[in-house]
Amino acid sequence: MPDEPSFLRQLARLSTIGISLVAATAIGLAMGYGLDWLLGTKPWLTMVFALFGIAAGFLNLFRDVGLIGPPRR
Amino acid sequence: MATETNKKASGRKSAWLVLVGLVLANLLVGVFLAPRQVGLHHTPFIQLPNFLAPVGVPGEWLPPHVTFTWVVMGILVVFGWAVGRGLRAVPGPLQNFAEVVVEGFYGLLDQMIGRQGRQFLPLVGTAGLFILTSNLLANIPGLQPPTANWNTTVALAVTVFISYNYFGIRKHGLANYLKHFCGPIWWLAPLMFPIEFIGHLARPVSLSIRLFGNIFGEESVVTILLGLSWLVMPYLIWLGVMLPLSLFTAAVQTFVFIMLTMVYIAGAVEEGHAEEHH
Repeated sequence: MPDEPSFLRQLARLSTIGISLVAATAIGLAMGYGLDWLLGTKPWLTMVFALFGIAAGFLNLFRDVGLIGPPRR
Repeated sequence: MATETNKKASGRKSAWLVLVGLVLANLLVGVFLAPRQVGLHHTPFIQLPNFLAPVGVPGEWLPPHVTFTWVVMGILVVFGWAVGRGLRAVPGPLQNFAEVVVEGFYGLLDQMIGRQGRQFLPLVGTAGLFILTSNLLANIPGLQPPTANWNTTVALAVTVFISYNYFGIRKHGLANYLKHFCGPIWWLAPLMFPIEFIGHLARPVSLSIRLFGNIFGEESVVTILLGLSWLVMPYLIWLGVMLPLSLFTAAVQTFVFIMLTMVYIAGAVEEGHAEEHH
């Protein structure tokens, strides 16, 4: 691994945060909705997976910004 | 002395004349050709009849992004063939150019992934050259960039997604790779696994939407400007603002795409996972 993150690398990482926050939330919501539709547990899995999605989005956000030490870079 | 200044002045004058002539010629082309040939919602310059209709592809013509994907592929294949045919120890101009491109990719791979990076040149290099070529295609009137269609960018992003997961599994084994998803603390694993999983699924979505959105947006603005180019001012705006900007966007978007690809691959094949589970 390189020692210090270069400017370009930071540019690439930081340019993801806007979209990946929304995308993670939307994917979590869609997964929950689909699972509910499959299993017939109407509101519950949607809620749980939407929360997972939001958490994933913020995890990605914090990792990209560098607040949390990333488990992988 | 006087003749020299005269010559200089006349030289400057002729340079201005050439410049004005170029702009006028460009303007004429823009006024008379561009509105009919440019843009996503007009007929593109190259069209192929739908010979895939027996297989079930609808429509009278092939979709333009498919046609132009083949155009880009053709450009790259011919370029690669022309370079590979005449490889010499003392490189000619074409081989020099190709060497600079490949060395550039090697440099990026070494910097981003490290010493095991060079084996990923086929994926990263192909994606980079394809995206760059098709982004630059946007600046030729009558041609459409295939990356302005979401289908193309989704194909690219899904390829990258499957590839980096495959590289990670090949490197660490399935169990170790999945363990990596579960976070450092074992009793948080049921919580961390879905979060990480969704986070990984968000990657191809954001990759594809970013590339598609940038190129499509730029293409739409150019379409509108050139559609109004009989008003002269929109055409000048295109020439002065949008053209340099879209060249810049083409390079930057390519760069961001391959950079993120390399970040993801680096994360998947990174060594020393075990030390993190302390």
